[in-house]
Amino acid sequence: MATLRSMELEINGRQHALTLEPRVTLLDALREHLGLTGTKKGCDQGQCGACTVHVDGERVLACLTLAVQAEGRKVTTIEGLAQADGALHPVQAAFVEEDAFQCGYCTPGQIMSAVACIREGHAGSDEEIREYMAGNLCRCGAYPNIVSAVRKAAKEVA
Amino acid sequence: MSLTELNTKRGDATDGAGPLGNALSRADGPAKVKGQATYALEHKVDDALHCVIVQSTVGAGRVVSVDRAAAEASPGVHLVLDSTNSLKLRPQPDFFGNWPTGEEYTPFASDITHNGQLVAAVVADTLEEARAAARLVRVEFEAATVVATRDDPSAGPGNPVPMDKDWGDPDAALAAAEVVIEATYETPREYNLPIEPHGLIAHWEADDRLTVYEPSQWIDGMANNYAAWFGVPFENVRVVSPFIGGGFGSKAQALPHSAAAAIAARMLRRPVKLAVTRPQTFTAYGGRPATWQQLRIGATRDGKLLAIDHDGANETAADGTFVETLGVVTSMMYDVANFRSRQRIVPVNTVLPGAFRAPGKNPSAFALESAMDELAVELGIDPVELRRRNEPEVDPETGKPWSSRRLLDAYAAASEAFGWSRRDPRPGSMRDGHELIGWGMAVGTHPVYSSPGEATVRILADGSVEVLSSAIDMGTGTYTILAQAAADALGVRAERVTVRLGDSRLPRAPVAGGSQLANLMMAAVHKTALAARDELIALGLNHPGSPLRDRANTLFISEGRISTPRGEGLAVEELMTATGREIIELSRDTLPEADRSSDDRLKLFTTVAGMERGTNIPVSRHSFCAHFVEVRVDEDFGTVRVSRVVTALDAGRLYNPKLADSQFKGGIVMGIGMALLEEGVTDPRNGRILSANLADYRIATNADVPHIETISVGKPDYDATPLGGKAVGELAIVGMAPAIANAVFHATGKRIRRLPIRLSNLI
Repeated sequence: MATLRSMELEINGRQHALTLEPRVTLLDALREHLGLTGTKKGCDQGQCGACTVHVDGERVLACLTLAVQAEGRKVTTIEGLAQADGALHPVQAAFVEEDAFQCGYCTPGQIMSAVACIREGHAGSDEEIREYMAGNLCRCGAYPNIVSAVRKAAKEVA
Repeated sequence: MSLTELNTKRGDATDGAGPLGNALSRADGPAKVKGQATYALEHKVDDALHCVIVQSTVGAGRVVSVDRAAAEASPGVHLVLDSTNSLKLRPQPDFFGNWPTGEEYTPFASDITHNGQLVAAVVADTLEEARAAARLVRVEFEAATVVATRDDPSAGPGNPVPMDKDWGDPDAALAAAEVVIEATYETPREYNLPIEPHGLIAHWEADDRLTVYEPSQWIDGMANNYAAWFGVPFENVRVVSPFIGGGFGSKAQALPHSAAAAIAARMLRRPVKLAVTRPQTFTAYGGRPATWQQLRIGATRDGKLLAIDHDGANETAADGTFVETLGVVTSMMYDVANFRSRQRIVPVNTVLPGAFRAPGKNPSAFALESAMDELAVELGIDPVELRRRNEPEVDPETGKPWSSRRLLDAYAAASEAFGWSRRDPRPGSMRDGHELIGWGMAVGTHPVYSSPGEATVRILADGSVEVLSSAIDMGTGTYTILAQAAADALGVRAERVTVRLGDSRLPRAPVAGGSQLANLMMAAVHKTALAARDELIALGLNHPGSPLRDRANTLFISEGRISTPRGEGLAVEELMTATGREIIELSRDTLPEADRSSDDRLKLFTTVAGMERGTNIPVSRHSFCAHFVEVRVDEDFGTVRVSRVVTALDAGRLYNPKLADSQFKGGIVMGIGMALLEEGVTDPRNGRILSANLADYRIATNADVPHIETISVGKPDYDATPLGGKAVGELAIVGMAPAIANAVFHATGKRIRRLPIRLSNLI
């Protein structure tokens, strides 16, 4: 029988105390145990990018990360991106304006990737954006509008 | 008075003059970008247990035994289910009319007809416990011979489907034709693969009252599925689906795993959450079947079509019928006096295939539009010019006039924007370094279907408006355009309108399929909102408390103000306050006058009986598009990149051009995947899907998609639908794959007739 383990996770600047089996992924910890369902499960095997979050500022697939691996690190999810007063992050605003999504299910992962893509300095051209956003699948096919949104947000963030 | 007469906007398809036709941003956008849109499995249901399913590992045979003991003894496990201990349900037909065998139904198979079939399920306190215990379920199978795909010689030629189409004398015309093109075109199994996998939370709130949180393209149809299975009244089943993470045809019915979760919840008297894993989705729902079509096209030397002879076939399941209607574009796209189409289905050991974006239309166009390109090459006629020469005045199949068909406008607009006149027709003639450049084109089309709808409109005391319907929005824009429809009819700003969807407690709606939902719900909301406006005006004219009483014979409402013709007026909320009204609430529907009993209503919204495909309509209703595509093929490696797309579309009036454009582009993107990437690969020994994940079954990524230019050439078509729109959602995928294949031919001189196009085809 798997033993339970206590852990402290820092998510969106808040400390969360959890008692979980060590085999619980960061993704399931967020969705099933913390009620943070903005991070999506599209494949649970590292292929679609829907679960992209930031760990210490870098994009990470929450489905391939155990919750215990995030201990002592800063996790940011889509819920932590908007400002405290609810104002949208420039990437979020650009996604709405450019209609960079349809069903919206891959969107939180796309946005977390886009924020990191800009921060990494990989939003210099449409070709570069396409390449560095290629790990986030969108079945609705919003890619052209995602590129527009990232290009627009990159200018505002810079 | 008909809705057309009542219509208040007459402008261009993208007029933008009022709330309707305006390119508003998506109403549900802020919730989606903040991670606050609640998808099915994200509803908070206390005490929910987790269910994990177990699928068969053989492709045919039977279950000899299921040893549940180890799983039952595993920590946290509440229940292990198989066909022997499952609650038995009442059999009912699936979406396509297939009935299960036997007096009782269980979703857990004992006779195996396909690999990946549902055979058992484990319910435990946590997902991790259920997943671990599912691995301990020991299923002993007796394997039988598997016919994995139609490539297996024992699959045979299949069974004819009674959808023959015949006119003229195609044999004689082909024998006399100066030029005949004859070829076979094939498409592989393709899977819908919405990024949100299937799954549900089933919650019995009482012994006869079930609430289901499940992504749904058809709230009322799915509620009826559960009611029929469990023998409870339709009204006792509530299906909740405010947001759907993509469907593309795959989420319109309750599936075997849906029944499994509802059974487990019923037996345990606890809510049960079941998430189908990504690999399991490949056999939980079938997707588009493999298709193959033989075409013979006869023409004169100057490019007049004389005859089309079409023979199409698709795979179906060993125990169920699904027809991918391959002759549908073939029979209506070009003017041809002699025509024959036949269709067969070939049963193999697969999960029942199903609807996937533009079923029938999409593979039908792949064959026809590839063959037209072959004919153009054979004749030495430009492929656009060949199509122009065969543009039909009326629908060649029915003889009915088109409600509208702006395909010639689409050719003109798209070829101009693309620069088609600069094309050198010789294959391999255009290159950039080691890249061969190919320019190809093809057309797409989608019929306009119509069904009745219902809506409720509420005007609240603060002047805000609510629109209620069990229709759904899976990214199609329903939340946004229905607000625009209500705002337009009522004379308020769209931001004042809140739309509530995706709950079977709301007024009913038919399936979001066949690209019909927007048009029919716009009509229902328009009608309801006009009735609400009339009531508001009557209130202003007649109520003793109204400051506008006896000031005019009629009143106008605009920008949220109700006024006399001279301009004297007040805000809607001020009128509500002055007259003491808390709410104005009205419900209307667009049901036929003869079908308004409660039984009729249930039937029309929970079956496809109410869907008008054109039989009773005096015109032929279709959307059209013309795709122009540039590809770059690496001469050494055979890799194909789509480098440019220009598509012109006639989809009638666009209620919101921004959101319609996203649907157009989405179809084009999916078409790029279809042409170059997507292929379900099956193990010929046992029918196992070898590509059952998102790495091996490749869909287009951002890096596969170039700049896409779309041009709307549509105009309002009030003969097609009450508010002038035509089919949008499924249109643009149709014709995209042949446009790419034709461009690849132009680049390389190699005609690829079996999708996807692989680099091994080109080197």
